[in-house]
Amino acid sequence: MMPLALDILLACILLLVFVVDLLLPAEDKRGIAVVACAGALITLAASFVLDVQGTAFGGAFVNDAVALYLKRVFLAAGALGVLIGMDHADRFFPRRQGEYHLLVLSSLLGMTLLASARELIFIVVSFELMSMPLYVLAAMRKSERSAEAALKLYLVGAVSSVVTLYGLSLLFAAAGTTMLSGVTAAAKAGNPMVVPGLVITLAGLGFKIGVVPFHMWVPDTYEGAPTPFVAFLSVAPKAAGFAALIRIFIEALPGQKATWAPAVIVMCVITMVVGNVLAIPQTSVKRLLAYSGIGQMGTMLLGIGLVTPDGLGMLLFYLVAYLFTNMGAFAVASVIEDASGSDHLDAFKGLSRRNPGLAMAMLLFLLSLGGIPFVAGFWAKVGVFVAAYRAGYVWIVVLGAVLAVVSVFYYMRVARSIYMERPVAGTEGRVPMALSMKAAVTVACVGVVGVGLYPAPFVETALAAARALMG
Amino acid sequence: MHLLTLIVLAPFIAAMVIIALPDRARAATRLVAITGAGVSLAGAIATILQYDLARGGLQMQKVVPLVPSLGISYAVAVDGWSLSLLLLTGIILFAGCWASWTVKDRDRDFYVLLLVLSAGVFGVFVSLDMFVFFLFYEIAVLPMYLLIGIWGSTKKVEIQGPLAPFLKRLDIGGREYAAMKLTLMLLMGSAFILVGILALYMAGGGKTFNMELLRGNMVMSRDTQLWVFPALWVGFGTLAGLFPFHTWSPDGHAAAPTAVSMLHAGVLMKLGAFGVIRVGMVMLPEGAQAWALVVGIVASINVVYGAFSAMSQKDLKYIIAYSSVSHMGVVMLGAATLTVSGWNGAVFQMFAHGIMTGAFFALVGLIYEKSHTRDVASMGGFAKFMPGISVVFTLGCLSSLGLPGTAGFVAEFLVFLGAYKSAHGWWMLPGILGAFITAIYVLKATRQIFWGPFPEGRFEHLEDARGTEWVAISMLAVCLVLFGFWPNLALTGVDKATVEYLSRVVGTSVAAAGPALVP
Repeated sequence: MMPLALDILLACILLLVFVVDLLLPAEDKRGIAVVACAGALITLAASFVLDVQGTAFGGAFVNDAVALYLKRVFLAAGALGVLIGMDHADRFFPRRQGEYHLLVLSSLLGMTLLASARELIFIVVSFELMSMPLYVLAAMRKSERSAEAALKLYLVGAVSSVVTLYGLSLLFAAAGTTMLSGVTAAAKAGNPMVVPGLVITLAGLGFKIGVVPFHMWVPDTYEGAPTPFVAFLSVAPKAAGFAALIRIFIEALPGQKATWAPAVIVMCVITMVVGNVLAIPQTSVKRLLAYSGIGQMGTMLLGIGLVTPDGLGMLLFYLVAYLFTNMGAFAVASVIEDASGSDHLDAFKGLSRRNPGLAMAMLLFLLSLGGIPFVAGFWAKVGVFVAAYRAGYVWIVVLGAVLAVVSVFYYMRVARSIYMERPVAGTEGRVPMALSMKAAVTVACVGVVGVGLYPAPFVETALAAARALMG
Repeated sequence: MHLLTLIVLAPFIAAMVIIALPDRARAATRLVAITGAGVSLAGAIATILQYDLARGGLQMQKVVPLVPSLGISYAVAVDGWSLSLLLLTGIILFAGCWASWTVKDRDRDFYVLLLVLSAGVFGVFVSLDMFVFFLFYEIAVLPMYLLIGIWGSTKKVEIQGPLAPFLKRLDIGGREYAAMKLTLMLLMGSAFILVGILALYMAGGGKTFNMELLRGNMVMSRDTQLWVFPALWVGFGTLAGLFPFHTWSPDGHAAAPTAVSMLHAGVLMKLGAFGVIRVGMVMLPEGAQAWALVVGIVASINVVYGAFSAMSQKDLKYIIAYSSVSHMGVVMLGAATLTVSGWNGAVFQMFAHGIMTGAFFALVGLIYEKSHTRDVASMGGFAKFMPGISVVFTLGCLSSLGLPGTAGFVAEFLVFLGAYKSAHGWWMLPGILGAFITAIYVLKATRQIFWGPFPEGRFEHLEDARGTEWVAISMLAVCLVLFGFWPNLALTGVDKATVEYLSRVVGTSVAAAGPALVP
């Protein structure tokens, strides 16, 4: 089977969604989401059935174990993202919901390509293919807040793309070729252009995944953009950013780790501290999740900074846990926001009486974000910390464990609103949920608990992939 | 089915069944909970009967790999220590389910959390794999947040400490403050534990978390042990009420509903002490020996300070809560002696204090339900209206101050004997001082509540325990006396395990002492 099969399949589904959008009447376009979701799932299933390992375009495109693992994460996130957005899109922009799902899928295509890209221009192009649709998606609501969020995302995204491009051009200048293997050779030869190229690229990608000090756009964008889209935005593009980091830094430049690894470690420590501390005073749940997400990014970045197979493998596993957890949490926030028009902590008050199932689900997601045992997030956090310990960073393990306790404090504030407070006057009624949203939250819950109870297959695959990449 | 797994799973399965029950099925909820607890208790008794005392050591082992590449497996077994502690947990859980009969608000959720928590406790006592041990430990600690936050007493808990202004601004007060303080302090302890466990894991080459396998291939220098031991000591110690990390305990126990206080003071604090001894001391012999003096001094402070604090309290629940801090100090003191009688005493004190404090909290719950006050000064002469309660309460007090014939005596005697025989004989003094102060405050409280002058016009409606209320307190009272007169029921097994583990710590084989000491 050819290595490009999955991406081609996804592109075909993209076109199919386009055609379905044209065929469906303007009044009822709900079928599109079903096609898009099914398409992502079929591609996901195909990744298990088809043998797509191998290279194409003279090594510029590669489907190795890491690429395949990341693609599965992206596809699962895409399918879940479409499912979460299905009802919201139908209610708030019914005539344009075709565009919504189409854009999600094209962004997804950019990600799957990015996971396999081993050539500088390929990396840039797929990165843009992923990013452009996101800017449009953030503005989907056409409200002032939504437009502001989109503009911030766009400006930051554009600037970071330029910065990344500049960094990559320096790497090209050093290597004389756009292939990453050439960059590796240049680095080995000690070309002086490699180091500045590296640093600038790191900054550009840092913007994308929102690590401190490049994190300012994250809370504002999350707060203003349509919440179901944020569920997708907070997971999949971040994972794609890590994909680029893995390709450029871990795969191509492990020999230079003395230069970049300390910088990454410093960034990740600052990010962990800042994200977790700034999350404490938040009263908007979306902002709280945004800051906590920044903290989580810091922990994940540790997987890159360690430059060990364990670290990389645990980062890959973390993405799976984060996928279910964070998308689930934003899905719940979306339900609450659509029901009460606010994502303030007050809107969550008494949720355990207004919708016990939803309250239970949110509690699971919060536990998982906090790294509490028997839900997915625990294994992810512990895995990264075990890897850090093995690499000799005992102080980071201590710091991370302390910050995990801090994070539990603010997650508990949400849990407290849900379980220990009475509903605010006027919101006593049952919180309604569309069928698609019920399905999405259920899937996320099953994912969080399933991975939490039996992490072995995910961990083993991730570690095997990481070991294959790093030798 | 494997017996130990059954003990761990029974409460969990009961919790799942309760979730599936309809909302209004109050009687069924209680029935299922009590059945689940009963199965665990029966399982614990069956384990004791099946355990081959003559052979000793770890028995009924079962190992199921969970994450092979990290060396994590579900590995369970029992030794002489876990036998008694399983029995204790079974008794307290069973009694606690009966004592919660009167919970009305959202009782289904209450029982679910209570049972899940107990599954965690059972898991800790039988786990050989440190990682799974840690998992169960967290399960046992975390439901507490919701249990106290939702069903806790509405009485105001004063916010204190450096974070007070900040917490007040976030509008966190009362039982929620107590719940949050407890959870965060215990999680901070967990952070230390995790680091300690990882250090042990790496010392074994990062291949297994199984304590028995680690023992064979673990190479850890003395210097490393010197910092890993305090991490585990403080981490687990936080849950055991270690001074100065004990402050969550009085607030938490005072704010918690009856059954939760029973389980928390009766069993959960023992998890901490058990962790210090089983993981900290047994796995890190050199660290334990080097730190024994500090552990003993802090334990002495615990004993005396806890007793003095208890003496100055006016709220009945706070008195009991501080007495727990004092009595857990006795456990840690016994552990620090590194002698056979000291360790036997420590483990037996865990058992005796668990039963005793469980009985106390059940009684306080009853007294509060009937008199609607916990202020000792406003009570008096209750014995006239509640003779049964007053008898059990007095019995608990006698055990608390260590009267011969009660379980408390055997435990404290063994610990003091161990202290005397240890390298630091003076440790006996704070222990005896603590017991002396305990005698003052428990007798004072009993006299005031039950025998003092009856305040007119306020408590005429009082009545004795009725129906289901009897179950918990009577079974706990029977245990207090039974194990006071016949401590060898538990001590024979405890002694077996002590001899084996202690000889690993001190490096030479030690002679069994228990049966000779307690004829």
